[in-house]
Amino acid sequence: MKPAPFDYHVPESVDDAVGLLASLGDTAKLLAGGQSLVPMLALRLAVFEHLVDLRRVEELRGIERRNGSLWVGAGTRQAVIEASDEVRAAAPLLAQATPLIGHFQIRNRGTVGGSLAHADSAAEYPAVALTLDAELEAQSPRGRRTIPATEFFTGVWSTALDEDELLLGVLLPVWEGRCGFAIEELARRHGDFALAGATVAVELDCDDRVARCAIGLLGLDSVPRRGSAAETAAVGRAIHELDPQEIGRAAVAELDNVPADLHAPADYRRRVGAEMVSRAWTRAVEEAGRG
Amino acid sequence: MVPQMTGPTSAARYAGTRVHRVEDARLLTGYGTFVDDITRPGMLHACFVRSPFPRARIDGVHATEALALDGVHAVFTAADINPEVHELWYSIMGKDIPDTPRPLLAEGEARFVGDPVAIVVAGSRYVAEDAAELVEVDYEPLEPVVDYRSARDASELVHEGYEKNVAGRLRGGNKDLMAEVGPSAAHVVSETIHQQAYVACPMETRGIVAEWSGGEMTIWAGTQAPHEVRAVCSRVLGLPEHRIRVIMRDTGGGFGQKVAPLREDLCVMVAARKVPAALKWIEDRRENLMAAGQARHEHGTASMAFAEDGTILAANIVHTQDVGAYPTPWPVGTAAAVGMIFPGPYRVPQAAWATTSMFSNTAGRIAYRGPWQFETVARELLLDIAARRMDIDPVELRRRNFLAADDLPYAMATGMPLDHISPREVFEHALELLDHDAFREEQAAAREQGRYLGVGTSSYVEPTTSAMGAFGTEGATIRVEPTGKVNVYVAGGSTGNSLETTAVQLTADALGVAIEDVNTIQGDTAVTPFGLGTGGSRSGSMIAGAVGTTARTLRERIIAIAAHKLEAAVEDIELADGRATVRGTPTAGLSIAEIAHTAYFDAASLPPDIEPGLEASGRYRAEAMSIWANATHVCTCEVDVTTGMVTILRYIVSEDCGPMINPNVVEGQIDGGTVQGIGGALYEHLAYDEDGNPIAATFVDYLMPTIAEVPVIEHGHIETPGPGPGGYKGVGEGGAIGAPPAVINAVADALSPFGVTITDLPVTPASIVALLDEVRAS
Amino acid sequence: MADVEVEIRVNGQPRRASVEPRRTLADFLREQCGLTGTHLGCEHGVCGACTVLVDGDAVRSCLVFAVQAEGAEVTTIEGIGAPDELSPVQAAFRDHHGLQCGFCTPGFVVSVTAFLRDHPNPTDDEIRDGLSGNLCRCTGYQGILAAVRAAAAGAQATTG
Repeated sequence: MKPAPFDYHVPESVDDAVGLLASLGDTAKLLAGGQSLVPMLALRLAVFEHLVDLRRVEELRGIERRNGSLWVGAGTRQAVIEASDEVRAAAPLLAQATPLIGHFQIRNRGTVGGSLAHADSAAEYPAVALTLDAELEAQSPRGRRTIPATEFFTGVWSTALDEDELLLGVLLPVWEGRCGFAIEELARRHGDFALAGATVAVELDCDDRVARCAIGLLGLDSVPRRGSAAETAAVGRAIHELDPQEIGRAAVAELDNVPADLHAPADYRRRVGAEMVSRAWTRAVEEAGRG
Repeated sequence: MVPQMTGPTSAARYAGTRVHRVEDARLLTGYGTFVDDITRPGMLHACFVRSPFPRARIDGVHATEALALDGVHAVFTAADINPEVHELWYSIMGKDIPDTPRPLLAEGEARFVGDPVAIVVAGSRYVAEDAAELVEVDYEPLEPVVDYRSARDASELVHEGYEKNVAGRLRGGNKDLMAEVGPSAAHVVSETIHQQAYVACPMETRGIVAEWSGGEMTIWAGTQAPHEVRAVCSRVLGLPEHRIRVIMRDTGGGFGQKVAPLREDLCVMVAARKVPAALKWIEDRRENLMAAGQARHEHGTASMAFAEDGTILAANIVHTQDVGAYPTPWPVGTAAAVGMIFPGPYRVPQAAWATTSMFSNTAGRIAYRGPWQFETVARELLLDIAARRMDIDPVELRRRNFLAADDLPYAMATGMPLDHISPREVFEHALELLDHDAFREEQAAAREQGRYLGVGTSSYVEPTTSAMGAFGTEGATIRVEPTGKVNVYVAGGSTGNSLETTAVQLTADALGVAIEDVNTIQGDTAVTPFGLGTGGSRSGSMIAGAVGTTARTLRERIIAIAAHKLEAAVEDIELADGRATVRGTPTAGLSIAEIAHTAYFDAASLPPDIEPGLEASGRYRAEAMSIWANATHVCTCEVDVTTGMVTILRYIVSEDCGPMINPNVVEGQIDGGTVQGIGGALYEHLAYDEDGNPIAATFVDYLMPTIAEVPVIEHGHIETPGPGPGGYKGVGEGGAIGAPPAVINAVADALSPFGVTITDLPVTPASIVALLDEVRAS
Repeated sequence: MADVEVEIRVNGQPRRASVEPRRTLADFLREQCGLTGTHLGCEHGVCGACTVLVDGDAVRSCLVFAVQAEGAEVTTIEGIGAPDELSPVQAAFRDHHGLQCGFCTPGFVVSVTAFLRDHPNPTDDEIRDGLSGNLCRCTGYQGILAAVRAAAAGAQATTG
C-alpha cells in the first residue's frame, strides 16, 4: 500500500503556494496535515503528479480575534486548537468538537484548513463552520475572497474552492451573551467517523426565550447540513415550551440524501441524527441557561 | 492416575508463577525480528496483481508495459508458476483427503475479488505496486456466486465438478431425531442462527522472504508453524526437506491465519527460484482483508427438546458454512466438530448433526481461533431463547442440565469422550464473581428508570492438544552447555503465545536450574526438532511433554555423574537450585556447571556407562486423544434503546485449563480471545456487497475493538488436572469461543422486556434498533 | 519525480538521505535508517503501530512523508529505551503483560510515552480515550491498561 510517485513542492508563502497551484493546474494537490489525503494516496484512491506542502507557510497559522470573530489560520493544527484558551473562550463549539476528531496522534498533524477543504460530511469542523455561519478566506491568482460556510460545501469531498485557490483561514463569529454550545455524535467505535452527529449553538434572551440558534448536522448528507426548519421553529419561543425530541425530528425532517453503508442504513442515521440534535439541544440550552 | 512427566511438582519453582517474559525486552524496544525486518543482499519485492471481479474469465495477461518500468524484474502468471507445483497438501489433513482446488495463481478464471492473477517482482514494493497497476488482464466478468446460502440453487458453479457448489457434507446420529423426540417433549425450541464473516486479523499481515541459492531454499516467514512451511515448500517444489530452511523469530499474531502457508506464500516460493536474489512479499492490510481468508461465516438451525422441568432430551444442529473459493486446508472435516461438540457441557442423551460446506466467490475459509466455535454460539443463544420461552431464568435452565463431577467420564451423544472438566464449578464460580442475584435486582431497578441492563452467560467445553496425526508428538533438544548454561530447542511458532517463556520456565524446573540460566531457540527448522507449531491449543501441554521427556534423560545423566563424583548412591542425589547434592548432606554437592565441565572436558572421570556431553533429544507422544478444557463467560451490558448502542459493563471469565504454567500468559490468552469474540459479536464484519465486492477491506470499515470498547475482564480459575504432563490443558482458543454468545445473550437479556429474539450476528446499533422496530410493529 | 535531499534527526543522530517524495517516514526509518522497530500494521493511518514522535508529538509515520520531516527531530521506539535499560513505560508493559506478539507494542509505547507526558495522572477514561488510536489484537488491552495505570502511578511516586 504505497502511494504513486509525485513531485514535491514546499512554498514558503501563500503567494508562492497559489502561484504553484496556478502553474501546475489540476495535477497538483495541496498537502496540509495529510491525515485524510495520505491514506487516499496510499490506497491509490487518489493520484496527483504534484503535492504542494504547506508546512512552511507561516501565514497560515494562528488563532486571533478579528472584529467580533475568531480567526483560525488554515494551517493551525487541531492539537493547537484543542489546547487554546482563546478558542475555548471565543468558539466553545470548536473547542468541544476538536477532541472528537480521530485520535490525538491524528490531531497532532491534522489542520483546520485540511479538514474544511477535505469537506467530509461526517467530519466535525465542516459542521462547526456551518453552524456558526463562519466565513472562509481564500486566495487565488485572482485575489482574495471570503466564502460563507453556507456556500462552501458543495458535495462529497468537494468545496467552492477553485483548483488554484488556497484556503487561508476561517472566521468564526463570536457568540456573546447567554449562549450554550454542544456537539453530540454516535460512532460505532470511539474515534470513528460519526454515523450521525449534531452541533447546536443557542442564545437565550433574559426571559429564557431563544434569541437565536443554529443546528448543524453531520454525516447525514453528502455535505454538512443545517436543521433550518427546527431553528426557525425554535427562535422566539421560551425554552420550557420546546421539546428537544421535537426539535430533533424537525431538524432531520428535510434531509433527503442520508447516506447508507455497511455500518448503518439511512433510516437509522436519520433517527439517530434526530436523537443527537435532541441531546445536543438539551445540553446547549442548559449551558445557556446558566449564563 | 496421570503419570508425572516432569518429576515431582514440589520441585517446581517457576511453573505456576508470573515470571517476566523472556521475549519482552527485545519486543518493547524495537529489536524484535519480524519477517518485514529481514533484509537480504539485492533483495527483490513482490506485489500481486489481483482480480477486481468476484468471478471472471481470464483471457490474457499482458505485462509488456509493466516490464518496461524501471526497476521491474519479472512478471509471472499462472502459466509460469502453477506447472511448478509437484504436490500440495497440508500435514493436518494428510494427502489422502478429497481436497478442494487451490491453484497458486488464478488460471483461466478468477474466483473472488483479490484472487492473485500475477506476481510482479521489482526492486522495491513501491515500484512493484506501480508495475502491478500496469499489468493488463483481459477479464470477461462472469455471474458470481456471492451468497453461500443460495449457492446451492445458483445457476453458476464456483468450481467445475462440485455440483450445486457443495464442497462436502457430513452428518452424524439419527437424522429424524427431532421428529421422533419432539412430539413427546414438553418443549421444542428451534432457531436458525446466522454468524457473519469475521477474521483473525493479526496486527502483522502475512509475509515471507524466500531466497534460492546454491540449490538450497532459505525462507523467513511470519508463521505459526515453521516446520509446516518447510514441509509444504518441500512438497510444492519437489525439493528434499533438508535443502530447505525456514526461520521465524517474531511473528505478529496468527490466530489461525498463519497456521498453514497460503497460495501467495507458495507462489513466492516458486517465484524465488526464478529470480536472482531473495524475494520478499509483505502483504498490505487491504490484501489481508481481501485475500488472507475468511472465517466464521455460517448458519445453523439449532434445535433442542426439553422435558417439563427443563431437562434437555435431545439436541440437533443442521449447519451450513461458507468456504469461499479456495478454502485452506480442506474445510469439510473441521466442520464436523461443530456438530460433534454441539451438546457442549450438558447432559444431552440424544444428539444428531449435519454440516454442509458451500463454495462461493469470496475469500477462502481458513482456520481461526476455535474454528468450530459456532457450536457454542448456536447452543448458548438457543438455550437463552429457550429459557425465555419456558419462562425460566437462563441461569436456572443451565443449572438443571450441566454435567456434574459424578457424570464424568461422560460420552457425548455424538461420541465425544469428556473427562477432567468442571462445567458446573466454573459456572457457579463465574456467577459468584458477578453476584447474579444482585445484578438481577440492579437490572430491575434500572428498568424502572427506563434503562436496559442485561446479563448473558456462555459455557463450553473445548478439545485441546489433539493427538491426531502430525499433531500428536512434539520434540525437544536440551543442551547443557560446558559452562552449565542451558539451551532448549523446540519447534516454536510463537505468535505472541509466550512459548519462549513457557519453554524456559518448564526447562528450568525440569533441570532444577535458575531461569536466568536457560535460553531457548525456536523457529528455525535447521536446528529445532520437528513440530507442527501453534494450533489447536496444543503448545503448552506438548512443550511440557517434550521438555519433560527430554529433561528426564538429562537429569538421569546429571545425577549419575554427580553420584559417581560424590561417591553417593544415585537415589540419594537431589537436583535443585542449579546443584546436585547428597540427601542429608547438603554441603556435599556439585554445581551443574561443574558437572557440565566434567561431561565435556573431563570425560575420563565420567562413570563408565555414561556418554560424554550433556545434551539430549526426546520426543513426547500425546497420551489422550484430546485434553478437554472448559469455561463460562459472563457479560453484563447496558443497551441504549434509542440508538442501539451497547456498553459492556462487566466481563467475567471463569475457566478450567488445569494448573497454569504462567497465569499472566493464561489470562493474556483468555483476554485476547475474549476481545476478538466481543469484536465478532458487536463490531467486526468482513462484508461483501451483493455484487461480491468486499466492503470492509480497510481498517476504516473492518472494526476491531479498541481499548475504549473493552471492559476490564475479571478472571476465575478452577483447576482440574488434565490427562497430560503437569495436568496442563490448552487455553489459546477458548476466549474466542466463549465470548460472542455471552455478549449476545446479555444484549438479548437487556431487550427481553420488548420480546426481542436475536439470531443474527453481529449485533450492531442499527440492527438492535431494527429489531425493536419489528417487535413494536407486530 | 525528482528525489529530495532531507536531513532528519533520528534519535538524536542526524540522518541525511536523498528520498523519493512518496516515501513515507515509516519506510524511511525502517529502510534508510534500519530502525525496524517502527511497524506497519495498516499503512492507512488507523492502527497506530507506526507511531513515532516528531518534534515531540506522537504521529503516525505512515501518514507523513519523509520529505515533510525535513529538519525535524524524530524519536522512534529505539530512542525510548534499550533492552537492558527499559524506560518506565516499557518496564510497566513488561511487568503487566502489556504485550504478547509485540507487533503493535512500539506504537503503544511511543503513544503512551507522549500521552503520560501530557496527562501525568490520567483517569481510566482518559487512558481509554488516549489509546483508542492504537489497535492490539493479542492482549484484549487488559495488560496495556494496567501498564499505563502503573506507569502513571510510578511517575507520580517518583516526582511526588
